[in-house]
Amino acid sequence: MFKYIIKRIFIFLPTIFIISLLTFMLSVSVPGDPVEQMLSSNTESGSVQNALASEQAYIKKRQELGLDLPVFYFSISNEATPKDLHLIPKKFHRNNLSRLIAQYGNWTLIDKYYQSIKQLEFATLETKRDSANGDAIIAIKDNIYQLYINDNNNVIQSSISKIQNQTKKDSSLLAINKALLTVKNNYQELRDNPTPIKYKTPTIHWYGTQCQYHQWITKFMKGDFGISYKDGRPVKSVLLDAVRWTVILSIISIILTYLISIPLGVVSAAKKGSKTDQTISTILFLLYSLPSFWVATLLIMFFGGGDFLNWFPAYGVGQIESGMSFMEKFGIRAYHLVLPLICYTYGSLAYISRQMRGAMVDTLSQDYIRTARAKGLNQRTILWKHAFKNSLLPIITLFASVFPLAVSGAIVLEIIFSIPGMGKLAYDALVARNYPIVYSVVMFSAILTLVGFLVADILYALVDPRISYNKK
Amino acid sequence: MGILNHLKGIKFSKGNAKHFKNELSPTPTKNSEAYWAFVKRQFNKNKRAVFSLYLVGFMAFIALFADFIANEKPIYCKYNDKSYFPILIDYGVQLGIKKWPKDLQNINWIDTDFQKVVRPPIPYSATTQDIINAGFVSPFEKQDVPSVRWRHWLGTEALGRDVLSALIHGTRIAFAVGIVSMSIASLIGIILGALAGYFGDNRILISRATAIMLLPGIIFGWFYAFSTRSYILSDSLKVSGLKFLGNLLLSFVIFFGAIILSWLVGKLLQFIPWFKKKIAVPMDIIVQRLIEILVSIPRLFLVIAIVAIAKPSIFLVMVVIGLTSWTGIARFIRAELLKVRSLEYIEAAEALGYSRKRILLRHAIPNSLSSVLIAIAFGIASAILIESFLSFIGLGIPPETLSWGKLLSLARGGKSQLWVAIFPGMAIFITVTLFNLIGEGLTDAIDPKQKR
Repeated sequence: MFKYIIKRIFIFLPTIFIISLLTFMLSVSVPGDPVEQMLSSNTESGSVQNALASEQAYIKKRQELGLDLPVFYFSISNEATPKDLHLIPKKFHRNNLSRLIAQYGNWTLIDKYYQSIKQLEFATLETKRDSANGDAIIAIKDNIYQLYINDNNNVIQSSISKIQNQTKKDSSLLAINKALLTVKNNYQELRDNPTPIKYKTPTIHWYGTQCQYHQWITKFMKGDFGISYKDGRPVKSVLLDAVRWTVILSIISIILTYLISIPLGVVSAAKKGSKTDQTISTILFLLYSLPSFWVATLLIMFFGGGDFLNWFPAYGVGQIESGMSFMEKFGIRAYHLVLPLICYTYGSLAYISRQMRGAMVDTLSQDYIRTARAKGLNQRTILWKHAFKNSLLPIITLFASVFPLAVSGAIVLEIIFSIPGMGKLAYDALVARNYPIVYSVVMFSAILTLVGFLVADILYALVDPRISYNKK
Repeated sequence: MGILNHLKGIKFSKGNAKHFKNELSPTPTKNSEAYWAFVKRQFNKNKRAVFSLYLVGFMAFIALFADFIANEKPIYCKYNDKSYFPILIDYGVQLGIKKWPKDLQNINWIDTDFQKVVRPPIPYSATTQDIINAGFVSPFEKQDVPSVRWRHWLGTEALGRDVLSALIHGTRIAFAVGIVSMSIASLIGIILGALAGYFGDNRILISRATAIMLLPGIIFGWFYAFSTRSYILSDSLKVSGLKFLGNLLLSFVIFFGAIILSWLVGKLLQFIPWFKKKIAVPMDIIVQRLIEILVSIPRLFLVIAIVAIAKPSIFLVMVVIGLTSWTGIARFIRAELLKVRSLEYIEAAEALGYSRKRILLRHAIPNSLSSVLIAIAFGIASAILIESFLSFIGLGIPPETLSWGKLLSLARGGKSQLWVAIFPGMAIFITVTLFNLIGEGLTDAIDPKQKR
């Protein structure tokens, strides 16, 4: 037994490792710039000082989040892409540069071109603005932005010529014109000297442990899950707040489920084929197929103050004030949780009682039950003392898998009833691209699921002494 | 928690009296011709399942001919003394092989007086906005329509779109999602499950040379197929799905080309004796781990994650559901093949010297397919459920498309629109139930002894 557990844990680790890799890679490759998201007030008020200050703030925040590091221990890239491209701060600059690399493959000239655009931007910012050239400067800024995000020749040429047209009108824009000329020349030089072969040559860059993934996974294992991009709170505390609700709801619902479904299963197995059995089966089957998000919507409409009865609050978990007694608090919570609990429970009810029934039917056909009957034991004793104990096996395995499922599967109902649990947290985080939370939730539910499988196997062996894993 | 069980792909099975009877009756072995006839006979005994199958057939018919059942364009019309079949023309236009005739180019299909016109039974498309009857007009309310013919039988939603028409067109989306995603899942599941089950951990032997050459093969293949072509791929996705598919296909050709090339190099290397030595590929361990990884990440979460960050498209939803739901099928096939590979006829075939590829493809897999049917029936139900949930929370399908889940979500937040919630919910419920009943019937028919 002990050996088996050790073996399972041994297999468990690489699985967790691959899951962590998968979630990490998924969130790295998605669009959106988390740094920009955190620095919500993006001041574009013009002066060089401001521009420099906001760039500094950007770089600082990026370092804080560890996003200035390479993504993984190594990268399979091409010879044209420099090893430290990740040091370019802004994500959209970086993306455009790598597009240019894909087109021309000549990094030295691309970098020269990029630096000259930056010079052009500074020249524009340094130019004193007055009533005469104000519009022109705004137009120039727009076009410089276009230069930053485009790799298409036509767009670049047209942006350059647009800036040129603006600078021709006004003598105060002379400095810009000069900078623009450098951009133009550098771009021409780049176009004249492409080295596409460099882009087609694979290269492996080795970064070592100074990479985002390593930093994240080592911190994760130490229990530091990072900070939420949204409000800067540690993910750990956000997660703990959310886990509480999910755990409360799933535990109550699991208990309810078992309390109702086990007797139902036993009864319909005992009266197999009768009218009672058929009625129970049909009702449960229908319940099982009812989509829970539909039932939730209807419950809210009927009982949640939609159009009919205003019996229960439709959303949230209620407001608790500090001076309340336990009973008052309990009342408020219970009042809010009635509708969600119905939805949580009804589906698994059907499933578990079906399983219970199946197992009971199986057990009741065994020889030793027949012997017990022959001995003249009454039906009640046979059912609950002999058959029931031996039918628990599948139910036990289910228990271990129901819990992680409840944690992750709560997404549906938590969104609809806006219960601040794991599911809603994860969904909101995803929509807001708040990745530290997304990683953590996925990792947690993966770990929970795997532990659930393991616990199920162990329980299985404990309940049924015939099952032994040692021989394997 | 109703959705959970579907999501995990757990089946709902009955252990009723029937299967004890089956155990007594002689069950034909699976390689015999009579096996399918036996399955069919068993299935036909289950009245509920057979009835469900007919109903599903009927719904498939609605899905297929949705455009002819509910459409603002007439089936046939005569306009300016010329006859047209607008729905058919529309198909041509969408395929890009036809253009709208000048007369019909900017026509208002509903208000125009045609000389002759044959309209579909429901004269509204899923997207038609009846502005006069907008704002949740109930089925029983007085509707401002020219005649009974134009009545909204199931009412309208906020923008005046006909609920019945949206339901009918939603059938098409539901069925398309179910069929496409399960095709993808079956393909992956059958291949991986069969490899794992038939070959196990020690029956695929490759030379050291091949094993060593596989790594550079994958790296170079990935580099030239996907890394250097990543911008070509992502740009073509913005142009059209077809162009993207073409480019993706080319990428796969390059990828597998590189692997085949490295395999050939490996063949050459085998002239050196050390490289010739065989090692076993632990196929079963690999596939089992893959399944474990996929099962550990909550499926709905994975689907939401991918769909939330990509551009909304129904095709993407199908692919993602397909890619995440093959594990059940793979498990079935694996278990089945573990049994099959030790049966006499496979051993006989091996003794006769048939190639393993031939045995696997011609004998082992075809005889295990029946159990996959069960997983597919339940899988379609859960795929439909996932799609409707995704569109219910506003993910996945483009904003202008109406599906069942989207329709249902329109009922949230406002007042007095019970019909917008009831009917699409019923549609989802009935479809899911039908597929579950079929799955259950198949479970009883194919593997009467199977419990879970």
